[in-house]
Amino acid sequence: MKSKDIQVLINGQEFKAKEGELVIDIARRNGIFIPALCYEESLKPYGACRMCIVEIKNEGVKKKITTSCTLQAFDGLSIETDSEEVLKHRKVLLELYLAQAPNSSKLKELALRYGVNRTRFRQKIRDDDPLNNSCVLCGLCVRVCSEVMSAGVINFIGRGEKTRVNTPYFEQSELCLGCRACAEVCPTGAIEFRDDGDIRIAASWSNTKVELKKCSMCGKYYAPVKLDKKIDTLYYYKDRDDELRDMCPDCRRKAIARKMTLIAENEVEKYAK
Amino acid sequence: MKINTLEDLIYIREVGLKKLKPRDKVRVSVGMATCGISVGGDVVFEELKEKLKNRDDVLLTKTGCIGFCHVEPLVNVFIPGKGILIYHHVQTKDVKKIIDNFSEAEKLDNVLCQIDKWYHITSDEIVYGGGFTNIPRWSELGFFKPQRKLVMRNSGIINPEDIDEYIAVGGYSALFKALKKMTPEEIINEVKKSGLRGRGGAGFPTGVKWELAKNEQSDVKYVICNADEGDPGAYMNRNEMESDPHSVIEGMIIGGYAIGAHKGIIYIRAEYPLALYRLQKAINEAKNYGLLGKNILGSGFDFDITISKGAGAFVCGEETALIASIEGDIGRPRPRPPFPAQKGLWGKPTNINNVETWTNIPLIVKKGGDWFRGFGNEKSPGTKVFSLVGKVENVGLVEVELGTPIKTVVYDIGGGAPSGKKVKAVQTGGPSGGCIPTKFFDLPIDYENLTSVGSIMGSGGLVVMDENTCMVDTAKFFLDFTVDESCGKCVPCREGLKHMLFILENITKGNGKEEDIKTLEQLSETIKTTSLCGLGQTAPNPVITTIKYFKDEYLEHINNKRCPALVCATLIEFEIDQRKCTGCAVCAKRCPVKAIDGIIGIGETFRIDPNKCIKCGTCLDVCKLGAVIKTSKGVVNEKQGHTSSY
Ligand SMILES: Cc1cc2nc3c(=O)[nH]c(=O)nc-3n(C[C@H](O)[C@H](O)[C@H](O)COP(=O)(O)O)c2cc1C
Ligand code: SF4
Ligand code: SF4
Ligand code: SF4
Ligand code: SF4
Ligand code: FES
Ligand code: FES
Repeated sequence: MKSKDIQVLINGQEFKAKEGELVIDIARRNGIFIPALCYEESLKPYGACRMCIVEIKNEGVKKKITTSCTLQAFDGLSIETDSEEVLKHRKVLLELYLAQAPNSSKLKELALRYGVNRTRFRQKIRDDDPLNNSCVLCGLCVRVCSEVMSAGVINFIGRGEKTRVNTPYFEQSELCLGCRACAEVCPTGAIEFRDDGDIRIAASWSNTKVELKKCSMCGKYYAPVKLDKKIDTLYYYKDRDDELRDMCPDCRRKAIARKMTLIAENEVEKYAK
Repeated sequence: MKINTLEDLIYIREVGLKKLKPRDKVRVSVGMATCGISVGGDVVFEELKEKLKNRDDVLLTKTGCIGFCHVEPLVNVFIPGKGILIYHHVQTKDVKKIIDNFSEAEKLDNVLCQIDKWYHITSDEIVYGGGFTNIPRWSELGFFKPQRKLVMRNSGIINPEDIDEYIAVGGYSALFKALKKMTPEEIINEVKKSGLRGRGGAGFPTGVKWELAKNEQSDVKYVICNADEGDPGAYMNRNEMESDPHSVIEGMIIGGYAIGAHKGIIYIRAEYPLALYRLQKAINEAKNYGLLGKNILGSGFDFDITISKGAGAFVCGEETALIASIEGDIGRPRPRPPFPAQKGLWGKPTNINNVETWTNIPLIVKKGGDWFRGFGNEKSPGTKVFSLVGKVENVGLVEVELGTPIKTVVYDIGGGAPSGKKVKAVQTGGPSGGCIPTKFFDLPIDYENLTSVGSIMGSGGLVVMDENTCMVDTAKFFLDFTVDESCGKCVPCREGLKHMLFILENITKGNGKEEDIKTLEQLSETIKTTSLCGLGQTAPNPVITTIKYFKDEYLEHINNKRCPALVCATLIEFEIDQRKCTGCAVCAKRCPVKAIDGIIGIGETFRIDPNKCIKCGTCLDVCKLGAVIKTSKGVVNEKQGHTSSY
């Protein structure tokens, strides 16, 4: 099914789009900044962080303030990303975030962008927080781990303001691949990993430990064993050169380069003959 | 037996009528919905069973709740030729009197009223009698007079555990009409014409919603009955299922036929075991008669209903969270679009309606949309059942036409606040409704009017508050509930409500600042505007409305550290009026922390140690002389009873 070409107005400027496209995608494609903590293109829209709110300018729309990560574009849609109304609410939300995750420097940076440098609300600080008082419960780590990595290591625990993210019962997980995808997507930099010799420690995830693989060339530990196996099952690297399989990316690059050079030298020799 | 033809249906109707209105037997039925059972209806039933075991002149059954919970346990006695007598506050010791001499039945002193005739709507009016002299007819009682029983058409009259009695009063005749004589389009048109709006809260037009689901192309579709009913103090839906389960089932089958679904699911909280039991029993009975299953009534239409139990989370009443919960996912709302009508349960078009919405369907199909429009007002046709609770004399379930003024419900039906206290406000719509002050009591109750004063219809909770209710404490109470029940997915609801609660706690402890009011207002606005689901979008209502209509109470707490209603524990003191005290020491004995001391017999010596007192109020409640007083910075209230607002 091919979607219709449409025109939308963002902050008064016209853009081409496809019907049903998410407004946040259209904005990003055109270099318009909309703050978003829980949106990631590869995952299903989730609508939890509410930072991405925009104001719909069209007549007859009942709910004017809505999240751009769930808003589907239609022809003639007109929105503002930073209207007075949007900013008013976004600032209150940022104050709530600063109280919830006082240690995240990424969040502080975002708040400053909107002139929010303090919060009126009681800050939540736990000494033993494995997420370093930086988690805003956006759920990206949970979703990437299950939807993309099919690992399902972490999830929400509890409900309401008591919600936390971690492994079940805060116990070390046997399922973790050590891929660090969770840390990669975390918008607040809350998730901590540490490599120690032949193990990778998911410090935030109940100190879950994963074994690392040793490079057959230089002996460096470079990737989790389980992740390596998973990639095999996912992508089936049958034709991957056996010799290269067990090398770290650095050595692999060198090995390939060397091979190329050899081939080239052979060619030269052949040519010379 | 399977019912296929009109003759079959009429045959069962006759069977049922013989049980409902026996020709040569007295029928005794005990009000046994959860409300009746909780005050001893089941014990009365057992006693009756025991005492009647050798009597074949009496038929003993159960019935549901007629709504007058305040005077339960209720026992109905039908005497052929004379009518039905309702006894109130029946205890086991009354049983003998009731069954010993039916010819003197009306002479007992706990007669509430008589039922001469009853309009079950789906059948002609049934005349039960009217032959008891000097006994008021039910419709003459202040409690019932302003009511209009559409949804509760059978509640408290028929036996909910017997499909024959439901059929006796015209049950399943609407289904018969729908399947045999109407097309799905005709049904949807009739529902649209009726103007019926969803009774689960938002008031979305039911016919329009059905049409959306019908127009979706899909071989599999679902209809769901939302029986989550998570509002504290609300039990309309529970009663509808316990007192007349077939009316819900009949509505759902018709709905399934109209939108093209072959599967229905009732999502009900596991805390409703009796409703669950009666629904399951009703489903089984309907299956036996061929009213559920394959080829219903020989029409070729297949439909089944299963029950899905919820764990009682308030947010699981929200339709997308409900779907997630049935699918085995965490009960958290999902963003819309897609709407359930497009992609609902298991990604298939799904139509969700509230229990009470479903029970209205057989009426509309049977009597027509225009007939339904004859009740209620232009924008909100029909009736609504409210659970009337709080500081009101006649606690119970009341069904009134939409458009009935608030004051009719609170004063005429509810009888005002107990012991002549002054009513201060009503709170409608469950935990996230607003508090409406008495100055708006002329307001006709409908969706738009309630919204215009900052509240909502919700599913029909109606909490009355009197002069002993502190409005700041009230706001705190409701917020405490919503904070607890927030699913935690989106930030305004999860974090924002929590901070509102902190601030309210501070105010009730006398630590509030004037700027707190502004912060509360700002938070409220952002939470309402930016929350993902209806929970967050409405949760600030109690705070917004109490600030708007009772700001002086907030300021008293903040500036004078005083709770004018004498509720907020930190701001009140208990004292003994030594002139009134006789030194009986009852208070001292009952005080849980031994805060009261004095020489027995010498009233002047009794005093309360304010440093030990935990303000439980026991002393005030037990002192028969009214010598214990409660004060808050000069506000004194003698002997008002010390109960918190709820
Ligand atoms: C937090 C929350 C709780 C809800 N709880 C209920 C409920 O217990 N029962 C119900 O019928 N609808 C409830 N609703 C409304 C449903 O989402 C939905 O609108 C309704 O079931 C639709 O049925 P109706 O059109 O017949 O009203 C709730 C909504 C929210 C936001
Ligand atoms: S590192 Fe572990 S927890 Fe994180 S995404 Fe990968 S598998 Fe999941
Ligand atoms: S740890 Fe990071 S990605 Fe995970 S929920 Fe918290 S903020 Fe989001
Ligand atoms: S529903 Fe109310 S009136 Fe009916 S039996 Fe229960 S408590 Fe009593
Ligand atoms: S209020 Fe309770 S704790 Fe205080 S004196 Fe009375 S009985 Fe004792
Ligand atoms: S990015 Fe839209 S709600 Fe989080
Ligand atoms: S949790 Fe439902 S609105 Fe936020």
